[in-house]
Amino acid sequence: MSDMKPENPDELAGEYVLGTLDAGERADVERLRLTSPDLEAAIRDWESRLSPLLDRVAEAAPSPDLLARIQARLPSAPADEAGGHNVVHLHRRVGNWRRSAIAAWAVAAGLAGFVIYGEATRIPVDQQFVAVFQEGDQAPSFLLSVNLQTRELTIRPVAAKPAGDKAFQLWMIADGLGEGPQSLGLLTGPESLTRKRLPELTRDSIMSATFGISIEPPGGSPTGKPTGPALHGHLLPASN
Amino acid sequence: MSDLLPRGRTVSDVADLLAQVARGDRTAFAALYDATSMKLFGILLRILHRRDRAEDLLQEVYLRIWERAGTFDRERASPITWMATIARNRAIDEVRRRQPSAISGDDDLPEVPDDAPGALEAMEQSEDARQLEACLDGLEADRADMVRQAYLNGMSRQELADKYGQPVNTIKTWLRRSLVQLRECLGS
Repeated sequence: MSDMKPENPDELAGEYVLGTLDAGERADVERLRLTSPDLEAAIRDWESRLSPLLDRVAEAAPSPDLLARIQARLPSAPADEAGGHNVVHLHRRVGNWRRSAIAAWAVAAGLAGFVIYGEATRIPVDQQFVAVFQEGDQAPSFLLSVNLQTRELTIRPVAAKPAGDKAFQLWMIADGLGEGPQSLGLLTGPESLTRKRLPELTRDSIMSATFGISIEPPGGSPTGKPTGPALHGHLLPASN
Repeated sequence: MSDLLPRGRTVSDVADLLAQVARGDRTAFAALYDATSMKLFGILLRILHRRDRAEDLLQEVYLRIWERAGTFDRERASPITWMATIARNRAIDEVRRRQPSAISGDDDLPEVPDDAPGALEAMEQSEDARQLEACLDGLEADRADMVRQAYLNGMSRQELADKYGQPVNTIKTWLRRSLVQLRECLGS
């Protein structure tokens, strides 16, 4: 670390992006960038400054079967065979949600309002973020809200119908949380509020995280990864 | 990176595909691969020199793109820069891990395509690329080449030291100065 000079994030970021740091120094930068917004911003600036050099890199064709090999490794690949079936069910279910939810967006907006105004007395609004889960442009099914100060996460059903004999499972993909989606547990049910606590992560990795809610067998995914159809959402400031 | 996208796709097309991939759309993932894999493979091959290793990493890069598509923010970066950065980072990590300070002589490097742009390509270069090239031309002798060797070929300080017959610390200083000059020249 003697050469790291974190007091000069621009210099460190430049060398990181150029690629000339050694393995240990690179690992240090990758850890530091998670907690230093200055370093993170400097890295992004250097990426955009130098990336025009890549215009000159000649294209090359990988083996023709490489896409198939990658597709076979996608996390929820097993869902593909049975998947068509599940997806039809999800579409039907979402259709039901839509029919049953009058002006569902207004409902979501109302809930967001509740989140903001209901809790604004004790939580600074800039600590409060929401994510809406919906299928395409259809009715939002769930509204997730996060308080970054307390790391409390709340999921309110909006237009979700009971999953029958299935369970809803919450997932999170974030830097520092391991590879791929990590389970945050099952939702208590589409009728009631679920409260969870977020893992210990930096503000940036929570803000850039992808949240997912998938339909799983009772008791949750047997594989530890999402197996059923899923909805995804990202955090937005609640104050906007 | 600019508008030089394969298969006649625009930056906005690729950003749209990434948004669909973020929602778990496998068809969009295949289209994204089709539009971008030759570019990313070219980037990996230049740094890794071996097709088998580059293909292994290309798989990992697209799995990562699948996982992280939801974190792409089109307000902050071009989608190709975002994907190319994932590929470059992964490739540089790999070569630094494999040979922390080893020296790879030129003779064990297979041919990589000579990609100096022809006259026509140079005319089609993006404004960003032209500006960067102009700033590189303004550096002292050898320095622009060093920056390109490091950024495009993944050369380490030690490899640059061997290639240019200079101590590692001198290379380090030259690179830092070159970066400062480039940033000033680019005015950002």
